[in-house]
Amino acid sequence: MRQAWDINSFEMGEFLRWIQKSLGMGKARCPEEERCLELLRIMLDEQATEEESKYVHKHIGNCYRCYQNYELENTIREAVKSKTHHLKVPQKLVNEITSKINL
Amino acid sequence: MDQAKEGYSDLEKRDIFNNEFMVHIDALYNFAIKLTLDEDEAKDLLQDTCMKAFRFIDSFEKGTNAKAWLFRILKNSFINDYRKKSKAPGMVDYQEVETYYNSDEEKGAGQVTTDLRSETVKGMLGDEITNALNSMDVDFRTVIILCDLEGFKYEEMAKILDIPIGTVRSRLHRARNILKEKLAAYAASMGYK
Repeated sequence: MRQAWDINSFEMGEFLRWIQKSLGMGKARCPEEERCLELLRIMLDEQATEEESKYVHKHIGNCYRCYQNYELENTIREAVKSKTHHLKVPQKLVNEITSKINL
Repeated sequence: MDQAKEGYSDLEKRDIFNNEFMVHIDALYNFAIKLTLDEDEAKDLLQDTCMKAFRFIDSFEKGTNAKAWLFRILKNSFINDYRKKSKAPGMVDYQEVETYYNSDEEKGAGQVTTDLRSETVKGMLGDEITNALNSMDVDFRTVIILCDLEGFKYEEMAKILDIPIGTVRSRLHRARNILKEKLAAYAASMGYK
């Protein structure tokens, strides 16, 4: 049977972040913030090495400030993808182009 | 993009154009609009790109990355033929911008100084995000478009933009800082919390 103290590392990270948030530590600077931000962006771009991803996951699991950065970066990406306009080429223009090519 | 050993026949050229290039026409059009910020110029730029792609089709290797190849042509056409005439009087030269953003002074000062919250961004409208993106210098805007909207990998972006991968990474990092600052400034001006 699972005991109250039997928590995994993810839950431990959540717990630490909750404590940091409660203590208002989200506004506190992290000495590794700039490096972590650079790496987490690379990770979100799916271009990070396994080692880089491990570093980021471990760091944001324990640092509320960088976890906030992670959430914000993700949200901005999603907003850029889903909220900016995606247009279709006017059919008239497609016809003009293909008729020139297929002459 | 190796030179094809022998030229394609007319039939092959049309086949490549219709089957490998035309599937990317919407993506190219959207890229053209986001570069020029003008619908008529975007249409001209797209036409020019298609004509150039067809004219130089022998240098495209059938079955390779057509999308990146076409984006590269469009980007080059934009720089050579459109950017000069559409460059606004107050616009800064890219080299100056990159030098500034790479300076030690800026590295310290530009560090995540914004207090933008995820919830605030989630509540923003499409036009607000689009305006922030469009107000960025075109070179910074371009890397965000290629990466986030078109899903190109750093290596592909390096080829499209003719820059080393390290520069892609640093330019993208700066671009994301600028976008975040613009969104934060907008949120503050609108009284978002």
